[in-house]
Amino acid sequence: MSTVYYLIQNMLPVAIPLLLVALGGMFSERSGIVNIALEGIMLFGAFFGALFVFFIQKSQIDPQVIILIGMVVAGFSGLIYSLLLSFAAVTMKANQTITGVSLNMLIPAAILLFSKMFFNSDGITTNMNFYIRKVPVLGDIPFIGEMFFQKTYLTVVLGLFFLVISVIVFYKTRFGLRLRACGEHPQAADSVGINVYFMRYAGVSISGILGGIGGFFYSVGVLDGNVNGHTGVAGFGFLALAVMIFGQWKPIRILLAALFFAFLRTLAYSVVLIPFLDNLGINQTYYKMLPYIATMVVLAFTSRKSRAPKAEGIPYDKALR
Amino acid sequence: MENYIVEMLNITKEFPGIIANDNITLNLKKGEVHALLGENGAGKSTLVSVLFGLYQAEKGEIKKNGKEVKINNPNDANDLGIGMVHQHFKLVEIFTVLENIILGVEPNTLGFLQKTDARKKVMELSGKYGLKINPDALIEEISIGMQQRAEILKMLYRENEILIFDEPTAVLTPQEIKELLKIMRDLAQEGKSVLFITHKLNEIIEVADRCTVLRKGKYIGTVDIKDTTKEELSRMMVGRDISFNIEKKLTEVKEVVLSVKNVTVPSKLHKNNAVKNISFDVRGGEIVCLAGIDGNGQTEFISALTGLEKVSSGTIILGGKDITKSSIRKRSVSGMSHIPEDRHKHGLILDYSLEENLVLQRYWQPEFQNKGFIRFHAVRNYAECLIKKYDVRSGQGPITMARSMSGGNQQKAIIAREIDKDHEVLVAVQPTRGLDVGAVEYIHKQLISRRDCGKGVLLVSLELDEVMNVSDRILVMYEGEIVGELDPKKTTVQELGLYMSGAKRNTVKEIDNAE
Amino acid sequence: MQSKKSSSRNKGITLKNITESKGFTAFTSVLLAIFLGLIFGFIVMAFAGPQNVFKGFSYILLGGFGRFGDVLYFATPILMTGLSVGLAFRMGLFNIGASGQYTMGMFFALYVGFMWDLPPEIHWIAAIIAGMVGGMLWGFIPGIFKAFLNVNEVITTIMFNYIGMYLVDMLIQGNLVLYLSSNARTNYLPRTVQLPSLGIMGSNVNVGIIMAVIIGIILFIVLEKTTFGYELKATGFNKHASNYAGMKGKTNIILTMVIAGGLAGLGGAFAILAPSAIAGSSMTYEPINIIAVNGFNGIAVALLGSANPIGIIFSATFISFIQRGGTLANLVGYKPEIIDVVIAVIIYFSAFAMIMNSGIGRFIKKYIIKKPHTNILLEDLEAVEEEIEVQNKEAE
Repeated sequence: MSTVYYLIQNMLPVAIPLLLVALGGMFSERSGIVNIALEGIMLFGAFFGALFVFFIQKSQIDPQVIILIGMVVAGFSGLIYSLLLSFAAVTMKANQTITGVSLNMLIPAAILLFSKMFFNSDGITTNMNFYIRKVPVLGDIPFIGEMFFQKTYLTVVLGLFFLVISVIVFYKTRFGLRLRACGEHPQAADSVGINVYFMRYAGVSISGILGGIGGFFYSVGVLDGNVNGHTGVAGFGFLALAVMIFGQWKPIRILLAALFFAFLRTLAYSVVLIPFLDNLGINQTYYKMLPYIATMVVLAFTSRKSRAPKAEGIPYDKALR
Repeated sequence: MENYIVEMLNITKEFPGIIANDNITLNLKKGEVHALLGENGAGKSTLVSVLFGLYQAEKGEIKKNGKEVKINNPNDANDLGIGMVHQHFKLVEIFTVLENIILGVEPNTLGFLQKTDARKKVMELSGKYGLKINPDALIEEISIGMQQRAEILKMLYRENEILIFDEPTAVLTPQEIKELLKIMRDLAQEGKSVLFITHKLNEIIEVADRCTVLRKGKYIGTVDIKDTTKEELSRMMVGRDISFNIEKKLTEVKEVVLSVKNVTVPSKLHKNNAVKNISFDVRGGEIVCLAGIDGNGQTEFISALTGLEKVSSGTIILGGKDITKSSIRKRSVSGMSHIPEDRHKHGLILDYSLEENLVLQRYWQPEFQNKGFIRFHAVRNYAECLIKKYDVRSGQGPITMARSMSGGNQQKAIIAREIDKDHEVLVAVQPTRGLDVGAVEYIHKQLISRRDCGKGVLLVSLELDEVMNVSDRILVMYEGEIVGELDPKKTTVQELGLYMSGAKRNTVKEIDNAE
Repeated sequence: MQSKKSSSRNKGITLKNITESKGFTAFTSVLLAIFLGLIFGFIVMAFAGPQNVFKGFSYILLGGFGRFGDVLYFATPILMTGLSVGLAFRMGLFNIGASGQYTMGMFFALYVGFMWDLPPEIHWIAAIIAGMVGGMLWGFIPGIFKAFLNVNEVITTIMFNYIGMYLVDMLIQGNLVLYLSSNARTNYLPRTVQLPSLGIMGSNVNVGIIMAVIIGIILFIVLEKTTFGYELKATGFNKHASNYAGMKGKTNIILTMVIAGGLAGLGGAFAILAPSAIAGSSMTYEPINIIAVNGFNGIAVALLGSANPIGIIFSATFISFIQRGGTLANLVGYKPEIIDVVIAVIIYFSAFAMIMNSGIGRFIKKYIIKKPHTNILLEDLEAVEEEIEVQNKEAE
């Protein structure tokens, strides 16, 4: 039983960044913009979040409050960075995949450059402790308390909160309806007076915010608040894309997909702690490859049926309706 | 001075390099059905796009109720009460009918959707005008007819008083067309003004009060329908007299060249089969027409016939050889030529030059390649020969990019390529779609010349005139089955319509007996 | 007949004119992107250390000339990954997996270099071929996924970058002949597997660059002159039409991915088998779970070269050139990562430079060159409406 608790406690902080970033990807792609840049956006958010933590860690502010403020900082920086994508993809009608790739390349180099210049290292190292050993009251509930309210991070609750908000915005509001129309049939949206460019900017910006926050949460929940230019976010942005496709561009399915991937990854990094797997004597690297291989397998089975937003990846040109 | 609800005065709209509308004036009265007539490329679509705010005119003005207005986008048009049913429906397929109707004018509280009142209003309108819909069905699951009704409701929901219909009848059965024309009349009677864009003269005579004719971007004139005739309108549209009849010699029908037996093709959209157990023969020296309303399995059948998709059962025999499982290339070599339905998607590589496109089916033959290297000289000579023989016109001859050619000449290039290749059967799918009268005539002549050479021609067409005039034998497809075989000389458009809409059928057995 | 102020159309152009003008636009777009990238780099440098900015920047712009041997040496692997990405591009595939294919090629070459006992004359050749095979394998699998399962190659190749990287690092660390755990790097390769040097003093430049350029020229010929090139480009432009024309789309996808993988694999082999200027040493690899950056730089190279093999030869040289300059700028206190930033910015701008360029072109034509009236044909009107329809359809 303790193994189960352990896995769940360790899985959630990993699942949340995947969930948020994949939701971000969903907003972007359902508005019609392919967002390969999620990896870069995550790293950008993580970097500024960590930078913020670095400068504030000596103050006496409560770590959980710092997470909240850091989240705002990261979300805002992700938003700014995503504007580079929306400007290229929406206004300049550039190739979205190439733009995304360039944005992914830019950030690790920029972080290395910046960190070498100012910290003389490859990244930012903080010594903040965000870990919550046990939430008062809730942590004492049998089973559930131990699973969800012990040895955890604030990011988990925040992530689920964002999921709920996303679902509501996506399905229950005028904004959500219009956004989905733009990714599916922008000409139709335009013909009823919806500003496709604006909605696409909005979609990408939301992905920037969620991507930035996801990156920060990754840094908090997975890297103990540090960021490194070399390893970055270890392909989590790309995994999030796979999660989004596996989740069929729908929020609740994305949650399930994120949990699935997070579980595999947690398993990969906990092999030594799980006697059964450890005894198998398989090289640990195989487990590290597991999420990526699983992505391939999952995509192989779902791609034939999967239904991407129809207009995704195609620049919308008002002059050519 | 008449009272016009909309006046478009001296409209000029230019695109880089051309004038799409040159000093055009169109006046619309309250409560009339006004037809806008012209060939493809005459500038009709551009003109209504200006009225609907999709384009801005360089010169001229638009007045509503005598006051000058600026229409910069569809929102402005909507505010002025102008609505439009586009030729390609502007409906989001994964949304419900109701969601599509309210999109853009969603009733909401603080941004949250409130659908209850909207639903009530839509259902009221639906009842009042006899526009039957299911508000909760997804667009992708309903018929074309219902999709069109959803489009009309979209305008009525917005309380538009000026309703533009852009080629609305192209996708409908004769019976559905009748219904639509009646709805248009009803709407005019209710005080709405209808602008009806079409190139079908019969429909104009039947429904319109007045008609404005455009030709090559210029204004030709506006006439009262009660004072004019079909011939007069056609002369205005084309600029010369055209014959409605096609000259055809009698030819002798030869042996069977293509034989289709019990072919069934699965559908990509739903679980049912798109083509259900169909059988027929095509003989040398005849044009067999596969008629039917779009979406009744013709596309899937042709895909299976030409090898783009697989059949789930049945056999296809071409010139005595079983080609059911053959590759596309093998079928082509065995004598099948194919003029595809969509010339941009399948027929051409738009970023290749004309000469490269002309050898698209043959580049691998020894004539054009040597040990894997293309013989450019041979390609050039062949292309120049075809261009001359089939009168394909283009800016720079063989090296013209296909993309920069006109639709008519693109189609001519495809026809040249497919006809010049050795073949026993020519499969032509909607070969005249979107072309002007001159090009249509040319293509019909080419099809008939194939037949006169003793080749078999399988023509898929949605245009009733084409079906009746060009073919020697008509097979009607309805919901994936062949429901009737008709002789164009002995049948009427009305009867054909009944078969196409599934109202009438003769059983497979009867067809077998007939043969 | 109608007339109007026609600006953008010019009838009666010859073939030469067209290719020239088309190539010219691509070329000027690339120059524009490079220019913007360099300006950005300059600003970053000015921000980082204003005092030496001109000196540092002149190193970047001119420093490569002093070390042209090195420029060619470092151009070799990115030329190969650039050809890999560029070839796939022409087929309409985005091969982000050049990194993984490169890494696999490197590993295969290393393995043959260390583990196989072959006569010295052919040992290095065998290692190169092994590298190609390794890359091919890593291109083959995403090719299969794309062709038969319709899995987007962008995601697959990214995943294969990670899988390949972890796999190679594990295999190297688990092999005591290859791996020197005390130094956390691979052992020095025997002299017989190292590529023959071209003998330029103080530089590692070797026959790899010559082979790479020859391969580039061969690819150019294949693309422009052969039926395979005709099919490949046709599929890249319009896969529906190529299918209609009876081309074997699935086979061609797999073949292209295999060739692309092989090219990137050769890049890895050329990189790891390069001779070292210091006697008794060789190139080494550190298995530290980082995705090979040469693969990503291949994307930049391919884009800058407009996916044309000849263009790629030049763009690889250019990228390597400014990278050398960046290393030199280190002498006056600028971090070489500036060049990576510059390259990323160049790709960013090259993604929409074509449009920007035509925008500038339109501006010039509209406001500077005013042409007299010319006649136009109805054909043109129809062609424009056709064009609009095509665009709409593509948009749907």
